[in-house]
Amino acid sequence: MNAVLEIKNLSVTLKRGGRDVTILDQLNLRIAPGEMQALVGESGSGKTIAALAIMRLLPPGAAITGEILLNGENLAAAVEPRMRQVRGKSVAMVFQNPLAALNPSRTIAAQIGEAWRVHQGGSAAQARARALELLDEVGIPDPKNRLNDYPHQFSGGMRQRVMIAMSLACSPHLLIADEPTTGLDPLIAQQIMTLIARLRRERDMAVLFVTHDLSVVQEHADSIHVLYAGRSVEWGAAAAFFQHPRHPYSEALLGSVARLGQARLRNIPGNLPEPEQRPPGCRFAPRCAYASAVCSTAYPPADAQGATLAACFHPLPRTARPAFAETLAPRPARNFAPLLDVTDLGVRYRGAGGWFGAARRLPPSLAEVSFRLGRGECLGVVGESGSGKSSLGRAVLQMIEYDGQVTLDGHDFHAMAGRAKRDLRRKIQVVFQDPRESMNPRMTIGEVIAEPLRLRGGLNNAARRARVEALLGQVGLNPEMAARHPGDVSGGQAQRIAIARALAAEPELIVLDEPTSALDVSTQAMLLNLLKDLSLKHALSYILISHDFAVVSYMSDRIAVLNAGRIVEMNETAALLSAPRAAYTRALIGAAPQLQPMQA
Amino acid sequence: MMKMILRRLASSCLSLFILVALVFFLAHLTPGGPAYSILGQKATPESVAQLNQRLGLDQPLLKQFGLWIWHLLHGELGYSYLLNRPVGQLLWVYERNTLIFYTVSIIISTALSIALGLIQGVWFGRWPAKLIGAFQLGFYALPPFFVAAMLILWFAVDVHWLPASGIIDLRDPHAGIASFAAHLVLPVTTVSLLTVSSLSRYFGEAVHEELGKDYVRTARAKGVSFASILFRHVMRNALRPLITILGLSFPYIFTGGVIVESVFNYPGLGWLMWRSALSQDYPILIAIVLVIGVLTVLGNLLADLVNGLLDPRASYE
Repeated sequence: MNAVLEIKNLSVTLKRGGRDVTILDQLNLRIAPGEMQALVGESGSGKTIAALAIMRLLPPGAAITGEILLNGENLAAAVEPRMRQVRGKSVAMVFQNPLAALNPSRTIAAQIGEAWRVHQGGSAAQARARALELLDEVGIPDPKNRLNDYPHQFSGGMRQRVMIAMSLACSPHLLIADEPTTGLDPLIAQQIMTLIARLRRERDMAVLFVTHDLSVVQEHADSIHVLYAGRSVEWGAAAAFFQHPRHPYSEALLGSVARLGQARLRNIPGNLPEPEQRPPGCRFAPRCAYASAVCSTAYPPADAQGATLAACFHPLPRTARPAFAETLAPRPARNFAPLLDVTDLGVRYRGAGGWFGAARRLPPSLAEVSFRLGRGECLGVVGESGSGKSSLGRAVLQMIEYDGQVTLDGHDFHAMAGRAKRDLRRKIQVVFQDPRESMNPRMTIGEVIAEPLRLRGGLNNAARRARVEALLGQVGLNPEMAARHPGDVSGGQAQRIAIARALAAEPELIVLDEPTSALDVSTQAMLLNLLKDLSLKHALSYILISHDFAVVSYMSDRIAVLNAGRIVEMNETAALLSAPRAAYTRALIGAAPQLQPMQA
Repeated sequence: MMKMILRRLASSCLSLFILVALVFFLAHLTPGGPAYSILGQKATPESVAQLNQRLGLDQPLLKQFGLWIWHLLHGELGYSYLLNRPVGQLLWVYERNTLIFYTVSIIISTALSIALGLIQGVWFGRWPAKLIGAFQLGFYALPPFFVAAMLILWFAVDVHWLPASGIIDLRDPHAGIASFAAHLVLPVTTVSLLTVSSLSRYFGEAVHEELGKDYVRTARAKGVSFASILFRHVMRNALRPLITILGLSFPYIFTGGVIVESVFNYPGLGWLMWRSALSQDYPILIAIVLVIGVLTVLGNLLADLVNGLLDPRASYE
């Protein structure tokens, strides 16, 4: 069959700090009409660069070699005016984070209409009519009355639908979707993926789906292409890939995806190499359990002995252990000594803009929330955006005003003041979603971790330094890292540092607010395992806030499901997963992306 | 939206009251007094006391202030001690001159800033932007009186192209609009040079920042040309900070204007303010402060309203 897109030996070089750095190396792939191919990789794998290269939207200074054949025409050699004709007409792109990717100050009718008029001409009225058709096609309710709305007036999912409608304006042959569901709630993400799958069937449109989320790939893609550190490691039919991953990296990646009810996550040791420091030969070899001397001699050729192709000297045989070696063991029931008692917690934010700066009353973000947490216990809090889960964390941390009682170790926060209250507050620490944002970029990592120690006093410089090094060791980092700055470390390392900082205050409870959602799967697995170990060792309690049901169920002893500021269900993890009582819980579990275990 | 405007104006009343009170007491606490300005330096203490009594200046300050507020509420701003005319009437003539002066200056500065800023934003980091940047910094650093003096030296004294100072009163039947315009050129140039130097820099940076945003990449992915991206997508979003800054810089433009008006002998509010401050003509001084305050409040309100039109996310709740 004729391919819509055929990429031959595509390499992309970017200018970084005055030097040329090869980000993507010798990519070859084919997509047939109507095919949905997933381009999978962790951050730094080069997957987004590959997508942007097809559109020729690379940053200034980028150089391309190889061929990008779209319906036989080589886009790699096309001039800019020709590319303007191709973009939006033959190839369209859906970006992640539609709030930023849409112009905030133009109506959606104008933005969708523009995509059509740029290529088809036509009057403003015709463009409007086309926009209406498209909005209807992507499932925007009451599209006629929403034409003049602005992007901010839509919810996250609806905004992504608008983005998709815009990309469909000229009926492209190829749609590139770059992480289209990242940042969306699972329920919404599922709807968006179903929409894209439906559209490509109805329109016989090829889709290149760029993602890091393997569970979504398994559900929707026909074929898969896995990148690691800028090079292809494994590619072929998606079903075969999930049945028998042949590249050790693929296998490790599949093993680190959190699934509901899992006992222990596997992680990949080591870090993804920086583009400047990629090892010779197979790039995964330094982290690979099967590596031998031959692996570092040359990049392995594609091995075609199985259902998929793997660039590996030692591809896994069919008889190898299946991708999920871990058994799904039930969690042993534990008894916890009481630590935290939350009674009738309510949070209501005040809106600005009343007369003379007076506040307006808003509906409560949190109401009638009560729960207890034991020493060493982990309570998972799940819910969609706006369900009040972050407010819950902030109230427990005493960062916002609240009604009701929060009692730690028998001390009610509202009944305390001054030094005693500060000492009590110290026992509750927090780890945020984006660790680097939560650190002062001018401080060294040692200073970041030492700050809680300094605030408490009682330690001299040498003792403090020793403590910092011990803490770094506890979270699995090299003590030499203390001299570096937050900007110089990877996301996973930064999150470990954030945990070390929290531990420095010797807390009894850590509020984990989406601690892994900014991390890659393999890093996420590593971090979750670390948190689990720390909890066992120090009898640390966690309140884990996340929209990722699989992560929460992996970590938590109990789960509380929040909807519109109220706890709709709270139960032991196993019981909640196997027999959810509330309809909302069932919907959340149903939408949680999860890899299906495969039999060998 | 109406509610928001009313609310803003209501809260501004408080700020204006504080402003006026502050100036009232500061002015009255300065040594000397208007009596010396009126009677001359050789006035006897008796005649000064007599005059003070006639002007009501011997009353306690608080009572004077209360009386002033009372008159204000009845729409009266009092009489000028020196010029012996109602303050309201006097102000109107000068205020009209000032408004013409500033409206022209702001229109020219904004247009120039947009043009320069666009160049700077598009060629950010390259020589056209760097060249403009050097001029911006230079003019930003120059004090207004120096620029004014230099302009007078070159264009009025050396080459006699333009009048050095003064302006023909608009009520003069013989004064043509051309003569009026000629008198405006140098003051407007001075104010514009200084305003453009900072405004265009802000706008250039805003354009550069907007060009790096995701929605620009989306527009490119649709196949939209660069010119369309610049004028249909980027421009509107980049104008918002410019307008906010314009609204905020209103009082600064004005205080700069006091100097410019005095140097050019331009009979505007700034000039009048300077003169009445020297002669301690309190009623005029305080009235001018009030007018400047009101103009500042209105300028900021106007900036917010325009921004509301540009940015659909701004809410008037």
